[in-house]
Amino acid sequence: MLTKPKLEENKQDSSTSKWKQRFNWLWSEYSVIIAFLIIFIAASIISPRFLDLNNQMNILMQVSIIGIISLGMTVVMLSGGIDLSVGSVLALVGVLTVIALNASGSIFVALLTACAVGVLAGMLNGLMVAKGKIASFIATLGMMAAARSIALYISSGGSISSEVAGFTSIANSELWIIDYPIIIFIVMTAMVYVLMHKTRFGRYVYALGSNEKAALLSAIPVDRVKIGVYTLAGLLVSVGAIIETSRLNSISSASSGMQYELDAIAAVIIGGTRMTGGRGKIIGTFFGVLILGILNNMMNLMNVSPHLQGFVKGLIIIVAVVFQKRE
Amino acid sequence: MSKPFLHMKKINKSFNGVSVLMNVSLEVEPGEIHALLGENGAGKSTLMNILGGVFRPDEGTILIHGKAVNLFNPKASQDHGIRFIHQELNVVPDLRVYENMFLGLELRNKLGIVKVEEMCRKTSDILMKLGVDIDPKEYVRNLDTSYKQLIEIAKALLHQSRLIIMDEPTTALAEHEVERLFSLMKSLKESGVSFIYISHKLNEIKQICDSYTVLRDGELVGTGQIQHETLENITTMMVGKTISEERIVHDNNFGKVVLEVRDLTCKGLFHSINFQVKRGEIVGFTGLSGDGRTELFETLFGYRKKYTGEIKVDAKNVQLNHPQMAVKSGIGLVPKNRKENAIIKDLSVMHNMTLSSIGNVEAYGFIRENREKGKFLHYKDLLNIKVHNPNITIDKLSGGNQQKVVIAKWLEVNTNILIFDNPTQGIDVGAKLEIYHHIVSLARQGKGIIILSSEAPEILKICHHIYVMFQGEIVANLNGHQATEDEIMGYATGSIKGGEKDAYQTKT
Repeated sequence: MLTKPKLEENKQDSSTSKWKQRFNWLWSEYSVIIAFLIIFIAASIISPRFLDLNNQMNILMQVSIIGIISLGMTVVMLSGGIDLSVGSVLALVGVLTVIALNASGSIFVALLTACAVGVLAGMLNGLMVAKGKIASFIATLGMMAAARSIALYISSGGSISSEVAGFTSIANSELWIIDYPIIIFIVMTAMVYVLMHKTRFGRYVYALGSNEKAALLSAIPVDRVKIGVYTLAGLLVSVGAIIETSRLNSISSASSGMQYELDAIAAVIIGGTRMTGGRGKIIGTFFGVLILGILNNMMNLMNVSPHLQGFVKGLIIIVAVVFQKRE
Repeated sequence: MSKPFLHMKKINKSFNGVSVLMNVSLEVEPGEIHALLGENGAGKSTLMNILGGVFRPDEGTILIHGKAVNLFNPKASQDHGIRFIHQELNVVPDLRVYENMFLGLELRNKLGIVKVEEMCRKTSDILMKLGVDIDPKEYVRNLDTSYKQLIEIAKALLHQSRLIIMDEPTTALAEHEVERLFSLMKSLKESGVSFIYISHKLNEIKQICDSYTVLRDGELVGTGQIQHETLENITTMMVGKTISEERIVHDNNFGKVVLEVRDLTCKGLFHSINFQVKRGEIVGFTGLSGDGRTELFETLFGYRKKYTGEIKVDAKNVQLNHPQMAVKSGIGLVPKNRKENAIIKDLSVMHNMTLSSIGNVEAYGFIRENREKGKFLHYKDLLNIKVHNPNITIDKLSGGNQQKVVIAKWLEVNTNILIFDNPTQGIDVGAKLEIYHHIVSLARQGKGIIILSSEAPEILKICHHIYVMFQGEIVANLNGHQATEDEIMGYATGSIKGGEKDAYQTKT
């Protein structure tokens, strides 16, 4: 009889510590979602226009291209690499897509060209990293310069516009009130999520990013996985390029995709992926992209000088990393 | 009697409500080598981290020369003359010897320019005292592991440490390097320096230590002079039960030859290697570090691509230039240095376990979590792995349990040949024995087993045949029943030479 209350006390004790543990786990795993909620609530208090449905859709629309590219960047960074070439490759894909479109008159051929160019550029990155043993930073830096240069050369430094009606409808149509690019972004997120968490490719990428030698000694085809990672990133850049080109019905070889690599890397880092690979989440990147989108949107709503926007973004990236659980 | 140099009194420490140390006391006299013993997880590291200023005790006092001190950070601990030499050496490979010695405490002139020559001179002096001849301007990356350890000790002396804590210093050392370390420790002891020596190798303890303290599950279970105790007694204290030193080898019921290697050569690493392994046989490879055995079996596992010679698995020629091909041909490898080569520390226990055999838990190209969980539960019971949550990352487990997860990974791949490189590295006595029994039962199932180890007793304990390597060559082929430790050491150090003794060939 005497022992009974004591037992219950113990139970209570362990249940509170369990809650504490659970909270710690929640924070360490999902700090980016909590940060997103805080920023979202803050934004809706500061600006009444923020919560407007049109504005919300506007934010999603604006982040969709960077978002899709960031998905690929997440996979590359999880594998322990980085891809600096995404912005330039986007411009190159855009230019070649419009040329193919105008030459053939077929949207299907244009889409095929886009995917082929992105995949090829990505595969080349992968080959340089995996087979050539070149550091990803260097290999993709080279690709970044080369792809932009080819894009500029082909289009003589200017922009080229599509002459085929109907191409613009890819990015400028909507389902009910949701624009296609948003749908594509969300579908892509889901697909990459499944790829990373439910297939062996994803498992291998995490293993490779965490400990490459142990991954190789576990009989993982490390080189093939690496090539796959950069190829996937290239394919996602193609999707981004199609949306970008279709939205404006033209592509500028000089300015399209400029600094997209920085925005994508920022989103991945804010999303909690570790720079050295092996740890991170697709969902984290998704919310990292949204955080960047909300910040841009808020600064526009509040009439912050566009020249200052980079400063705020930089600050947020650093704050985000500081607040993330350090090891 | 004078006061002890160090007296840790009734130390208590808990992490997240779990007690790790309960009323633990420790006394170290000046000029004594004190063994700190216990299984993994007994609280040795925590106690030493408290002494090293890494953790603060919850309760208890630390006295140095009878005066209470507050070791609030590693610097404070060093200022009191305590130096912690970790298992993973803290030397910077890309700096020179003298730069490592003076790292953080560089001698500078008034302009802030470092005084290279003076530092070199002081480094040479100390190294001379230790009886080694290393150029102070040599890069540390070019030195042997034992010299790296020496540099750590030299560093401790340079900063006039009175107590040096050594955590498993001999795991990475070859036999003759261990000798060097021990003679060094003895001469330092003469000059009044004390040591706390942590190791799992009990015969080393007997050889070098004066007194001992045994911890078990965070409690002090025994302390005293080492000469009054037998190794069995100490082992019993550590594990709470007796462990036999007998051979645990099963009968020689071998099947067909499963692996045959002819004239395998890799330039600069090993040459003209010939041996064979039968089903059900356990073959041991031993030697000093740098004898080429690890490289030889990395080659057999397809990790090194350039080799000449023939490899036959089940009497079929195979070309091995990727670990995947080795696995396809039926060769598995549990590598040494678990942390670098075997575990993926960001992946969960379950994911580590299924990493090499994802095909077994897939359906239509997707990983099925319930199947994976099933595998996890199966191996958890089979190998007695102490883990409840399959989703915690593997680095949270103790060394023995990590090794069991790695073994489970290879059991699931189910290759006919399994190579174990240093399978019991950094594992406590109880788990060691469990792992030996699992290896023997694998052989009993008809697998060909190869064990690489630098510890002759380990090889003698479970192997049917023993190959001794010296400088990239097989110098002896001994029968596991008849071989002795002295014989093995003789071949391994190159002191017995001449024709290859071929007990195995003559027998068959």
